[in-house]
Amino acid sequence: MVLTDRIRNFAIIAHVDHGKSTLADRMLQLTGLVGDRTMRAQYLDRMDLERERGITIKAQAVRMPYRAADGTEYVLNLIDTPGHVDFSYEVSRAMNACEGAVLLVDAAQGMQAQTIANLYLAVDAGLEVIPLLNKIDLPAARPEQVAEEIAALLGGDPTDILAVSAKTGEGVPAVLERIVERVPPPVGSADDPLRALIFDSVYDSYRGVITYVRVVDGEIRPRTPVRLMATGFTGEVDDLCVISPEPLAIDRLGPGEVGYVTAAIKEVDQARVGDTITTVADPASAPLPGYREPTPMVFSGLYPVDSGDFPDLRDALEKLRLNDASFTFEPETSVALGFGFRCGFLGLLHMEIISERLDREFDIPLVTTAPNVRYEVHIEPAMRTDDEAAVIAVSNPAELPAANRIAEIREPVVDAMIVVPSDYIGPVMQLCQGRRGDLQKMEYLTPQRVELRYRLPLAEIIVDFFDRLKSQTRGYGSLDYEPAGLAAADLVKVDILLNADPVDAFSAIVHRDRAYEYGKRMVNRLRELIPRQMFDVPIQAAIGSRIIARETVKARRKDVLAKCYGGDVTRKRKLLEKQKEGKRRMKNVGAVEIPQEAFVAALSVGDDG
Amino acid sequence: MDHQSTTAAGYGIYVHVPFCLRRCHYCDFNTYADRSALIPRYVAALRADIAAIADAGPSAVAPAGARAGGVWPAFDSVFIGGGTPTLLPTPDLVDVIAAVTTAFTIGPDAEITVEANPETVDVEQMRALAVAGVNRVSIGAQSFMPHVLDALGRWHEPRAPLRAVDACRAAGIQRISMDLIYGTPGETDRDWSHSVRTALDTGIGHLSAYALTVEPGTEYARRVRRGAAAAPDDDVQAERMEQVDRWAAQAGLRRYELSNWARPGDESRHNRIYWRGGDWLGVGAGAHGHWGGRRWWCVRSPERYVRAALGGTSPVAGDEVPDSGERRAERLLLGLRLAEGVDRGAVAPLDDRVVQDLAAAGLLIATDNRLTLTSAGMRLASAVTLELV
Repeated sequence: MVLTDRIRNFAIIAHVDHGKSTLADRMLQLTGLVGDRTMRAQYLDRMDLERERGITIKAQAVRMPYRAADGTEYVLNLIDTPGHVDFSYEVSRAMNACEGAVLLVDAAQGMQAQTIANLYLAVDAGLEVIPLLNKIDLPAARPEQVAEEIAALLGGDPTDILAVSAKTGEGVPAVLERIVERVPPPVGSADDPLRALIFDSVYDSYRGVITYVRVVDGEIRPRTPVRLMATGFTGEVDDLCVISPEPLAIDRLGPGEVGYVTAAIKEVDQARVGDTITTVADPASAPLPGYREPTPMVFSGLYPVDSGDFPDLRDALEKLRLNDASFTFEPETSVALGFGFRCGFLGLLHMEIISERLDREFDIPLVTTAPNVRYEVHIEPAMRTDDEAAVIAVSNPAELPAANRIAEIREPVVDAMIVVPSDYIGPVMQLCQGRRGDLQKMEYLTPQRVELRYRLPLAEIIVDFFDRLKSQTRGYGSLDYEPAGLAAADLVKVDILLNADPVDAFSAIVHRDRAYEYGKRMVNRLRELIPRQMFDVPIQAAIGSRIIARETVKARRKDVLAKCYGGDVTRKRKLLEKQKEGKRRMKNVGAVEIPQEAFVAALSVGDDG
Repeated sequence: MDHQSTTAAGYGIYVHVPFCLRRCHYCDFNTYADRSALIPRYVAALRADIAAIADAGPSAVAPAGARAGGVWPAFDSVFIGGGTPTLLPTPDLVDVIAAVTTAFTIGPDAEITVEANPETVDVEQMRALAVAGVNRVSIGAQSFMPHVLDALGRWHEPRAPLRAVDACRAAGIQRISMDLIYGTPGETDRDWSHSVRTALDTGIGHLSAYALTVEPGTEYARRVRRGAAAAPDDDVQAERMEQVDRWAAQAGLRRYELSNWARPGDESRHNRIYWRGGDWLGVGAGAHGHWGGRRWWCVRSPERYVRAALGGTSPVAGDEVPDSGERRAERLLLGLRLAEGVDRGAVAPLDDRVVQDLAAAGLLIATDNRLTLTSAGMRLASAVTLELV
């Protein structure tokens, strides 16, 4: 058992690649938890995918015993947080499990939007923030300037900011000292009913769901019947462990302590991040504040390339959902793509991660439709049928009702923060205005760096916005955003027709002013991608029955084997058999045959997006 | 004429000569420009192989267990192809032909063809071949335009094919065919018109005209990849195909196969055996044969062929007996190339809706018992075949 005032719980806030995992590695070594020989880079990032992408998707918590310079023994709990805009809710819950946060900033790159956003989350959670300058050994480091930026945001004296090299370990001992000095110990009463915050939950095929918890009040022991206050799940505590850095069973977690609990929970949906664990026998009167249901923001259709893979895809999605409660899926049918699922994700990165995991863990070739947001459609009262709701949610553009039945369409908007070197303000403002952005605030962090606040439709930033921002700021621009509700907009559905048949997978909901541009771009792209057929194929973009763009794939005029003599028969027959197999895999839209690759290419968002 | 049974398609013998002076850029045939030292042994190997096949009888080439009969039928055609058969010393070439005509019964009006490249033809040689029984010569002219010949990697002088025609006629060989290639990048409409007219003006009774095809592994393919040559344009080739059909018709040559035109009666009987699904023996390196439903092919390497044939072992590298579905695919693939079309019974079952759609699109003529491609269908023969298969 650990004295509460000897516990220090902290997180590390850092931008991707600013050295968070490396700093954590050095701390594990300095506290003697991991020997130099067993050290492997990015020790805490468990999943291969995380290691490869260099980002942390799942939070982890590690307990480090630490003897301070004055000889006092402490327990440091490092709570690792996901590092991407899609997971800001998870970050906020991890922050709530801490009293302090180490703000790690690359001394060459300076503060990034995402770091600033996470810093605000930390400040909102009342954490003591300890700023650090990392990579001070890099030639491009500009520690004084970056220290100024940090001080401008955080207050305090720039000369007070510690400088480290997480890579070499230089300066890290001073960081540990400062953590015990400045991060306050947890407060909480062991005598109150149990309230433990779930800040992460991970599916494990052997033990069921592993919930990472921070005890706020009371204590938790093995074999205690517990209840999850938001989901209502009840069960008995099975394993109770701390990670140090391998799991270590203990018989009690008291106030301020961090560890994990298993309780025969079958899927993460039953033990969601932000939920409160209490005991069945002596339940807390109220859960910890701040719990939120995960809300998918970005939607996409996932279709197996081979329609025979549909049941496998469903199984795969169900398995993934066991350890990721934040994505949703429901079956849908596309005329062009057959049977698939409309999936909802927290954001684009989340979508990429799920697709990659499907590919890696289940090996199912997929066609993924262009991402879109969920619209709130208000039906024109005069056109409403009796059994129809006044307001419907549309997460598949093909399902948007006819224009004359719509009174209003509301789309999700976000408050975006963009941090850029001041040289790039012009191009960034141009980009945001082109995406229907509304400038709300502009603030100089330092004379060289500016924070821009925009309200933007989410739909405008899920497609190619971040890449554009990066390319127009030579990689220096950074972005963070948070949902800001819904706003009415003048939106229309653009349909794409091949040989007069609409291809539902290509339908998009776009702003009226951008409809022509979208239509023109799609028909041009498809003209390039669709192979010539035995007849002319008109490609049209239409709003309702009005054609706004048109191109034609001219009929193929020649497709013939110039020669076929006695020695060619076997080879040519085999070629024919192969072509027949290829034809079977073609997607048919009316009489038009489209190779799978053309579909994928047409749906992928290229540079011209 | 009965097109339904394979016997009605006739019987042929194909002999392959895998030697050339130089390799043309577009060529993906089994031929070699650096092995003339092998020629004497290769000729001996051909003779040994021909004798061995003749002795073994039809049951040795027919599918296992098939009733093939013990005696060879009379053959309707012998075709010496290559490569460049006329690259062989004339006595050797005559020997090879004699080996065939003595080992097998050759029908009284059989067609005996030799392929020739224009630069290797002379009157003396043609006389010797005529005496050996050769009554048809196929000349690889390809083009009459120097820059087109250049692009194709042909090195003969543009008028050489005309001299070759004269040499054949002087030797009394009346049945002459010429090969042309169209759609070579750099060839203009005028160039093509000149080549076709020059060929037809000689009064030959048979013309083959092929769209230039970039085959993988050829010099031309390498040039395209390097950017040193352009890939042929389908639309241009479609146009040229229509043109040659028109011009040949004006000269009295009828299109009887996708890439072949002939004066009535002057069609290549040998090639028609292939297209009609007939039986033939294949002799020589890489040669394919077909007998009673079995297909086989010989080793491609001339050295290995020589070793096997002279060593008394079989030079056959592989074989197959296509199942009924595969046979149907073959009949479609080959039969639709012919102006006479293909018997519906041989390619059943057909999807009536597909047949109707293709007919409605003007690509196919479907009668009660035959399927025939239209001129537009000929241009799209591969696509139509793929629809029907």
